[in-house]
Amino acid sequence: MTDRRRAVTAGVVGALTVFIVGAAGCTDADPVERPTTGTAPTELTVSAAASLTESFEALAERFEADHPGTDVVLTFDSSTALADQILEGAPVDVFASADTANPTRLAEAGLTDGEAVAIARNRLAMVVPAGNPAGVDDLADLATLEGTVALCAEEVPCGKLAATVLDAAGVTVAADRVTRGQNARATLAAVADGDAVAGLVYVTDAAVADDLLDVVPIESVPDATTELQVVALRDAPAGALAAELVELIVGPVGQAELRRAGFLSPR
Amino acid sequence: MNRRGVERTSPLVLAGSAVALALVVLPLVGLLTRVRWSTLAEDLTSRAALDALRLSLMCSLLAAAISVVAGTPLAWLLARGRGRGRSLLRGLVLLPMVLPPVVGGVALLSAFSLRSPIGGWLHDTFGLQLTFSTAGAVLAEAFVALPFFVVTLEGALRSLDPGLEEDAASLGAGRAMAARRVVLPLVAPAAASGAVLAWARALGEFGATVTFAGNVEGRTRTLPLAVALLLESDRDAAVALSLVLVAVSLVVIVALRGRWAVRR
Repeated sequence: MTDRRRAVTAGVVGALTVFIVGAAGCTDADPVERPTTGTAPTELTVSAAASLTESFEALAERFEADHPGTDVVLTFDSSTALADQILEGAPVDVFASADTANPTRLAEAGLTDGEAVAIARNRLAMVVPAGNPAGVDDLADLATLEGTVALCAEEVPCGKLAATVLDAAGVTVAADRVTRGQNARATLAAVADGDAVAGLVYVTDAAVADDLLDVVPIESVPDATTELQVVALRDAPAGALAAELVELIVGPVGQAELRRAGFLSPR
Repeated sequence: MNRRGVERTSPLVLAGSAVALALVVLPLVGLLTRVRWSTLAEDLTSRAALDALRLSLMCSLLAAAISVVAGTPLAWLLARGRGRGRSLLRGLVLLPMVLPPVVGGVALLSAFSLRSPIGGWLHDTFGLQLTFSTAGAVLAEAFVALPFFVVTLEGALRSLDPGLEEDAASLGAGRAMAARRVVLPLVAPAAASGAVLAWARALGEFGATVTFAGNVEGRTRTLPLAVALLLESDRDAAVALSLVLVAVSLVVIVALRGRWAVRR
């Protein structure tokens, strides 16, 4: 019994040691990464819609170059998931949404700093695996073809836009033939890497995987677009830097980057 | 442990244990505080919830059955087989236990998607598509669940006295009969524990399933996938379904109580 308890004590001490040493290791590692200017890096945390991945990575690099000692930390997911996280208290400086509904939710909760600004618009494209094996050439084919169709989750912006487009075209796809991606990029992957016969994704996403996908234009409902917005958050941990990043995105540099990725200009 | 034993436990042990316990208990308490009890019944009996429950039950039971049927001979081979390949084989079988599930999903996709040789052949020959199908969800769950059964059964087989089989043989039983009449009854409790563990793991599977089989209502949207999806639309319902999974896990632990104790 005594032996056993000694063993337990040793085990706990061992685990605690690993924990403490590990934690200390983390703290020790920090100064190494600090720039030679001697100031601690300021983290600027940005939550952005998955469709903004490449554009925001480029803009973050640009911002870091213009602001030495600033580290832009990017999180990409569906705007809905990101807004939920912010509502739960995630310490975020800037939120870029693929729609207007999610910034509105944050504004209503009193979490935003000023009005959300429109930065771009996006529309949907129908994508099929390269070579279009199922022979999809119209939105209406989604209702009748065999196989699984990839759409975004109903509550996220690209899922809402897909519902709008399908409704407008009068096309109904049976629920048991639809796989739901948690965000725009997950939906894209279901067609690009998976076996979905077709999917509705943003035109900007379709461009990202153009070697694996063919795009079938949606001609029947040309006007369905979603407006992307960016907003600084009231309790932004990085303070004024948040507003500066918003300025970069809204300004000519950000706009050029977004146009290059295929986003439409805001209305 | 008696009262004196408690008194003599070192403060360091108590502190460490408290940290560990808090790590496990606090999130569960948090979950309980988020449950909206007034709509719980509704949330659990909505069509989406019932679909996910039914599908989860079916897929996880099938995955556990596959683990038992295919895992029993494998556990036997690992426990009784000889040769150097055995540890390599065991490592391979254990791999899904430590592999990130999403990587398992990518691997399954690489092997069985329509563009892969096997997946393409299955589709062209039998018209069978595993991706986005219930069969695919079962396959993903069996992939992660199998090692839990194999490890449990192998351990039990190893702990048996090999003399038992020799005794049975000396009494005239053939190898097959000795296995069936002597060994299997002795390891049956361990096999049952292994099956329950494999089932529980299959029930909780998320990463491999969503990566390989997608998230199709009624076909591959099992409880964990429904929870992830509902988080963005109906948090109360997501919490309610999470509560179901916690309850099932607790039942499994209670059912297996004592079975994990090391035999001395």
